[in-house]
Amino acid sequence: MTGNRLRAEGLVLTYEDRTVVDGLDLEIPDGQITVVVGPNACGKSTLLRALGRLLKPRRGSVLLDGAELARIPTRRVAREIGLLPQTPVPPEGITVSELVTRGRQPHQKWWRQWTEADERAAGEAMDRTGTGDLAERLVDELSGGQRQRAWIAMVLAQDTDLLLLDEPTTYLDIAHQVEVLDLVRQLNRERGRTVVAVLHDLNQAARYADHLIAMKAGRIIAQGAPSEVITADLVHEVFGLACVVVPDPVTGGPLVVPGAPWPSG
Amino acid sequence: MTVRPTGYSVLRTGRAAVLLHRRAALVAVLLGAALAVTAVAYLCVGESFVRPAEVVRVLAGQPSPDEFVVGTLRLPRLVVGLLAGAAFGVAGSFIQTVARNPLASPDVIGVTHGAGAATVAAMTFGLAAYTALPYVSILGGLTAAALVYVFAWRRGLHASRFVLIGIGVSVALGSLTQLLLTKGDVLVAQQAKVWLTGSLNGRGYDHAAPLAAILLVLTPALLWAVRAQRTVSFDDDTATALGVRLGRVRLGLTILGVVLASVATAAAGPVDFVALLAPQIARRLARTAQIPLLGSALTGALIMTIADLLARKLFSPIELPVGVFTAVVGAPYLMWLIVRTRSRSGGAA
Ligand SMILES: Nc1ncnc2c1ncn2[C@@H]1O[C@H](COP(=O)(O)OP(=O)(O)O)[C@@H](O)[C@H]1O
Ligand SMILES: [Mg+2]
Repeated sequence: MTGNRLRAEGLVLTYEDRTVVDGLDLEIPDGQITVVVGPNACGKSTLLRALGRLLKPRRGSVLLDGAELARIPTRRVAREIGLLPQTPVPPEGITVSELVTRGRQPHQKWWRQWTEADERAAGEAMDRTGTGDLAERLVDELSGGQRQRAWIAMVLAQDTDLLLLDEPTTYLDIAHQVEVLDLVRQLNRERGRTVVAVLHDLNQAARYADHLIAMKAGRIIAQGAPSEVITADLVHEVFGLACVVVPDPVTGGPLVVPGAPWPSG
Repeated sequence: MTVRPTGYSVLRTGRAAVLLHRRAALVAVLLGAALAVTAVAYLCVGESFVRPAEVVRVLAGQPSPDEFVVGTLRLPRLVVGLLAGAAFGVAGSFIQTVARNPLASPDVIGVTHGAGAATVAAMTFGLAAYTALPYVSILGGLTAAALVYVFAWRRGLHASRFVLIGIGVSVALGSLTQLLLTKGDVLVAQQAKVWLTGSLNGRGYDHAAPLAAILLVLTPALLWAVRAQRTVSFDDDTATALGVRLGRVRLGLTILGVVLASVATAAAGPVDFVALLAPQIARRLARTAQIPLLGSALTGALIMTIADLLARKLFSPIELPVGVFTAVVGAPYLMWLIVRTRSRSGGAA
C-alpha cells in the first residue's frame, strides 16, 4: 500500500446507462498539485465528482486513507475533501461573508453554529482570496472574477487537506486566472494542501501542475510530470490538435504552440 | 481578519453558540406585534362590536359581560385560523425550499387538494370518525405528494416539471373531490362544500386541538428544520460537498411540509395561497438567504387572520369563506410568478 490518501481502483462511472469512465485506476499524489486536462465531455468533471463522493461509482471504488469513500459519512468526507463544482449555484440573496462561512458547515453542530475556529478559518480564507472588501456584497451582484474568489474562499474556509477544483479559472480574465492559480499554488506550498484541479489551458496546466493527467473519452492517456507528459504527439492524440512544444521562456517547462510548423523555404 | 456572516449576531451560552439573523429577528417581533393587534381586532368585530378593553379582560381571564361572544364564539375560531395559517406558512417554506422554487407550495402542487379529497371522501362515505379526519387528511396529502414525486421524477427532480405535474395532480384531485360531492348525501355534501372553499365558520377547539397537538409533537423536528433549510439552498453538488445528506434532508423537510399542510387543511379546509404567499413575503421582509421559518409561520397566521376577518365582516351578514379572500391576493401573485418564471428561464433548464 502506498502512502497517498486518495486513490481510485477499477472505477466505472455512469449516468443512467451511459458509461463515462470505464475502469480507471488513479492515485492522487499527496501534497502536490494534480491537474486534469482533456477535451470537453471527456469525463473530467465526472471523475472529480466521484473523487469528492458526489457520484457513486457503478463499479470499483474511490479510497480515502484505504477506506471506501462511499462508506464514509458525508460529513466526515466534507471535513477531509473540499470540492468546488464547475458551476456552483449560490443561495439567492446571500452575502459574500455568509457564503464563505457556509464553508464551515461540516465542522458545525446545531448548538454550536459559530466557534472561534470558524471565525479564524473564514477570516483566513477571506484574507487569502482578497474577498474581505466584498464581505457585505451580494454574491449575485459580483463580477465573474469576484464571485469565483468568493467561492474559492468558501472551500478554503472548509479547511480540508484535499481540494478538488473543477475549472476554477473558467470565466476569468487572464490576470484573474493567474491570481487564482497562484493562490492555489501558495496553498499547496505553504499549507501542504493536496490539490486536484481541472484546467482548460494546457500551458497553465504545465506551469502549475506537479502531476499532470491527460484524459480522453474517460481514459487516462498519460500522466506524470508535465515536462514528460506534454509532447506534440500527446496533444495531437488527446485534443486532435497539431502543435509544437517549445520551452517556456519563463519556466523552461513545456509550452504548447498550436499549429503545424511552417514549411521552410 | 475576523469575520462573521453579515447581518448575524452570535448568541452564546456556555459552549453553545447560535447564529441569529438580526433583521429576521426584528421582522419576527414586528410581525408578532401586528398579529397581536390583528387578533384583538378580530375579537372585537362581529355581529356585535366588543370594545378592545373588554377583549383584553376576557383574554386575561377576568369576568366580563362579553365573555360568551369573545371567549366562546370568536376565540376558538381565531385560534384555528392562527394555527392553520402558521402551519400553512411553514409547510410552504419547506416545500419551496426543497423544490428551490417559489411556485412549489403545497397548495399549488396538489398536497392540500389531496388532503381535501381524502377528507371529503371520508366525510361523504362516513369512512372515518370525525376525530380521525386530520389523519385521513395527512394520508391524502402524503398520497398526493407521492403521486407528484413519482410522475415528476426522471433522473432527478426538475423544478419546472415538478410544478407543472403538481398543478396537474392538483386539478385532477379537485375534480375527484367534485365527483365525490355529487355521490354523497346532500347534507354532508353541503357541509363539505363550505369546508372546501376554506372556511373558518363554525370551527372550534375540537378543530384546533389535533392541530396544536401535532405542532407540539413536531417541535423538535421544526428546530432541526430551521438549520436544515439553510443547508439545502445550494445546488446539489455544492451542498453535498459541504457535508449535507441531501436525500435525507429533502425527504425530512418534504414530509414535514406535507404533514403540516394536511393537518392545517383538516382544520381549516384547503385554503389556497397562504402557503404560497407567506414564505415569500417573510423572506422579502427579512432579506435572508433562506426562507425564515418563524417569519413564515407568523406571516401565514397574519394572512389567515386578516382574510378571515374580512370574510366575516366585509359583506356581513353574509359570511364568505376565508379561501375567497386569500385567493383575491394569491391568484394574481401566482400568475405573476408563472409569467416571470417563464420569461426568466427562457427555455433554459
Ligand atoms: N448529470 C449528467 N447526466 C447525464 N449525463 C451527464 C451528466 N453530467 C455529465 N454527463 C455526460 O457525461 C460526459 C462527461 O461529462 P463531464 O464529466 O462533465 O465532462 P468534462 O467535465 O470533461 O467536460 C458527457 O458526455 C456529458 O454529457
Ligand atoms: Mg467539466
